[in-house]
Amino acid sequence: MNCSCGVGKRIKDFVKSALFLDFIKGMHVTLGYLFSKSITIRYPDEEKWIPYQRFRGRHTLNMTSEGKELCVACELCSKACPTDCITVIPMEDDTGIGITDRVAKVWKVDLVRCLFCGYCEDACPTRAVRLSREYELSTTDISRTKFEKRELLLPESVPEQVHGGGIAKAKFVRSKDGIKIVANLGKMKKMRW
Amino acid sequence: MATVIINGKTSSVKDGTLILDAARDAGVEIPTFCYQADLMGVGSCRMCLVEIEGQKKLQPSCITPVMDGMSIQTETPQILKARQGVLEFFLSNHALDCPVCDKGGECELQDMVYKHGPVEGRYAESKHRFHEKDYILSPVIVKNSNRCVQCLRCVRVCDEVVGRNVLASLGRGHEQEETSFLRSRLDCDHCGNCIEVCPVGCFMRLPYRYKSRPWDLKGTDTICPYCATGCRMVVEERDGEALRARAQIGVGINSETLCARGRFGFDFINDPRRLTTPLVKKFGKLEPATWSEALDFISEKLSGIEGERIGGLASPVLTNEELYSFQKLMRSTLGSPNIDSSTRWDPVVVENYIAASAMTSGGLSVFDAAEADTLFVAGTQLSDENPIVDYIARRISAERGTRIIVASVRDMKLDSSAGLSIRHLPGGLGALMKAAALSLYESKKDKLQGFAGVERFEGLSADVLLGEAGVSSDELAAITKRFETSATVALTAGTDLLRQSCGILALGLLSDVLKALGKEVLILPILDRANQRGAWEMGVLPGLAPGYRTASKRGLGTKEMIEAAAAGGIDAMYVIGEDPVGENPSGVSAFDALSKLSFILVQDTFLTDTAAMADCVLPGAFPAEKDGTFTNQEGRVQAMRRLKAPPGDARAYLAIIASVSGVLSSTTGVCTKTNSMQVFNEIRKEAPAYAGVSLEFNNRKNKLNKLDNREALAGASEGGFTPVAMTSCAPAAEQRGEGEFYLITGNTLFHSGRLSHSSPTLTGLQKGAALELSEADASALGLSSGEEARVQGNDYEVTLPVRLRKGMRDGVVYIPEFFPGVSVERFFTTGVSLPVVKVKKS
Repeated sequence: MNCSCGVGKRIKDFVKSALFLDFIKGMHVTLGYLFSKSITIRYPDEEKWIPYQRFRGRHTLNMTSEGKELCVACELCSKACPTDCITVIPMEDDTGIGITDRVAKVWKVDLVRCLFCGYCEDACPTRAVRLSREYELSTTDISRTKFEKRELLLPESVPEQVHGGGIAKAKFVRSKDGIKIVANLGKMKKMRW
Repeated sequence: MATVIINGKTSSVKDGTLILDAARDAGVEIPTFCYQADLMGVGSCRMCLVEIEGQKKLQPSCITPVMDGMSIQTETPQILKARQGVLEFFLSNHALDCPVCDKGGECELQDMVYKHGPVEGRYAESKHRFHEKDYILSPVIVKNSNRCVQCLRCVRVCDEVVGRNVLASLGRGHEQEETSFLRSRLDCDHCGNCIEVCPVGCFMRLPYRYKSRPWDLKGTDTICPYCATGCRMVVEERDGEALRARAQIGVGINSETLCARGRFGFDFINDPRRLTTPLVKKFGKLEPATWSEALDFISEKLSGIEGERIGGLASPVLTNEELYSFQKLMRSTLGSPNIDSSTRWDPVVVENYIAASAMTSGGLSVFDAAEADTLFVAGTQLSDENPIVDYIARRISAERGTRIIVASVRDMKLDSSAGLSIRHLPGGLGALMKAAALSLYESKKDKLQGFAGVERFEGLSADVLLGEAGVSSDELAAITKRFETSATVALTAGTDLLRQSCGILALGLLSDVLKALGKEVLILPILDRANQRGAWEMGVLPGLAPGYRTASKRGLGTKEMIEAAAAGGIDAMYVIGEDPVGENPSGVSAFDALSKLSFILVQDTFLTDTAAMADCVLPGAFPAEKDGTFTNQEGRVQAMRRLKAPPGDARAYLAIIASVSGVLSSTTGVCTKTNSMQVFNEIRKEAPAYAGVSLEFNNRKNKLNKLDNREALAGASEGGFTPVAMTSCAPAAEQRGEGEFYLITGNTLFHSGRLSHSSPTLTGLQKGAALELSEADASALGLSSGEEARVQGNDYEVTLPVRLRKGMRDGVVYIPEFFPGVSVERFFTTGVSLPVVKVKKS
């Protein structure tokens, strides 16, 4: 049985209310944040979060340093995929666009179905498929959720060497497609959680 | 019998059985690479090592026969270690490019290493590479020697089964490579059996190269639609596109073998020119229409035409169910007796052929024929027209010592396995068989006192017959000697007998004489259309009802129908899958004749010449797009399954016949069944020969590699029919003058009928027709291989490249049938089965 009528508890409550201890405790948190550095990221116009290397975002297809496609269209990624979101159709190519004469005619991923588990990365025998740090995937157009080989072969916006886990300043880049906001990786500040 | 103890279990097997077979019979699995049922054992891979009690070393079970009382262990630690060692050796030089290799996913080496292999290899030196890039061996075969495991299956299948002998093992040790001489392009049959037997990705299909992975493919059991051998195969598709066809070991009479047509010729299914919607003629032009519009149009047009003024023609590549429904529609719903299943053969000749080749007495297994003491191959270019029968004959003759006699005009591959090859004159086969019968009769006259058909020998003289056949008396003596010393004689009845009808009577005579001599005579029909026998058994002939019963009313055959159309005797034609205009089988122009008709209804898959002039065209489906059964030349009834839906609005012919029947008549007797099994059950009742046929077994994989499923053979037909007597059987040959040649026709190895010309792979193997003639004739004409020659005859002329054949009879030229641009039928005048043509250097 709980005793709520003990003498000791009553004295303790009296002291607490007389010295505004609870109030001070609450205000300590509030005021502490008021004067501390802000953790809000002013996304996307001013700042952008650069994820850690282990982050699993949209797929990319890698190339060798000579610019040859690493993908040999073995279809192991599509076989390993638990949601069946990767379609690979191989073809023969003698022009040397890939590391072998077997290259992907179609390499398509449906990100609506993808659950970013990374099994495709694990299955890939040539380390061609990587889940990149691309996370800005929201769109109002359903067709933009399906990515073809041509888009996936483009270089990643965050190079693999960049450690990540920080906030980069955003900058506006004017191109013929319109204005884009990209992260300025040179001025990245580490985030201390 | 020998008693062996395998892993402690005692079993008793036949003497001489291999340990491997004995173990598999006892349910013990031993891994193998180089072992292939029915091929000579080589014991090269050492995967099947077993421990035999009393022997110090492990023994390869695939070449060691059992001995009585042998005690065998298959799973001891020593064996498991040996297997790991063998696999480690294989992998030490294996390319290990599985992600790129087309075999990845169905590779025997992958499976073996997963199951028995070492966890890691210790071989650290660099691997021997034969070449950096895969090289092309033939237009359909691509080779990568770096993956080879030296099992020699390809070499053995090419030698023992196909009989081409173009592959060999070059080099020794780690440089051993199974390939053609100097890795040159193969001049072979392009059958791809080396691809089928290769356990790894060493031989690969070029048309299937880098198209898919085995796990993406969805396959179904079907039957090759080319010749009447009835090879079972699996056609596999990905995303609606048929990608490859393969044979399965232990399934069908063909087991793992197929020919080029079967293995690579299925791709006509993917042709973009196929019909996908019904077409109806409006204001003189074919316009796409819906099914209901088309059917209303048909009902409106056909209902006004009297039944007997309608002609029906169905292709012998339709299923039994479709052919049965078609003849039922024609005979009962429309009331027309005019129905035929071929544009080439005369129905009277066909009836005599059916009677002479004993088709009415039920099916005959090709294995029985090949296992006879003597196999007389006549009237067919077997190695080109029915390659799988050629493989079976070669395999069995090597194994059991069947004596093969080849009688043909042109040389063929089977000559190498034949004890006796005879080149007779074209049209001389009948004379040759008569001469053989006469010589047998005369030598055994005392034995044949009561021979029934003695009057058939009247007026025959051996010298005249030998002169007609162009065969020497020594060759004839060799034939009769072989016949005399055999207890069972198998005769083939090829399609040349249908072309030159004289041979049919001679075949009957020869088989009667042999039977009277107390020999067992087996007659194996050799046909060149997938369901030709089925079409006849379903009653798609003017004189025959289903089950070889005489039809209540005799109708017109194809030629008579076209002639009747030209003369105004019929008003409408219903054509399924045939092209009488393109093939022009009659003396009169089929185009002019059919233009006079008031209504032409065509069901086809392509817009053929006939379809282009039709009033209504309904799009149909190919095999692999429909269910049904085929009856092969042996009388074996085999089921096939549907792989995918036909393109667009196209439907299976059975469904189309049912809808046409439905709109034409609401009374009884209509055939509105669209399920092929329901129709087949009806056929079982109508044709008693089919009552006991089992379709089930055919689709099951047969563990003991017994390919010969006798429950599938059709039974004997009750009652029987009497064929209409052939009016004359004089050889319809014209006399050959100086500089003139006899013209013979037939199928080639890569093309038979029109269908194969829609296949890009087969067209790639052989695009145009070639004129074949003997070397002596060619040098007399100043022609060499590849040069163009002009062929003239019967007001028709065609220019063709020349191909020389070493073993061909002089004075004969050969032009294949049904090649686009070469209307070989135009050399023929009515009543002449062996035309004479002039050949000149172009």
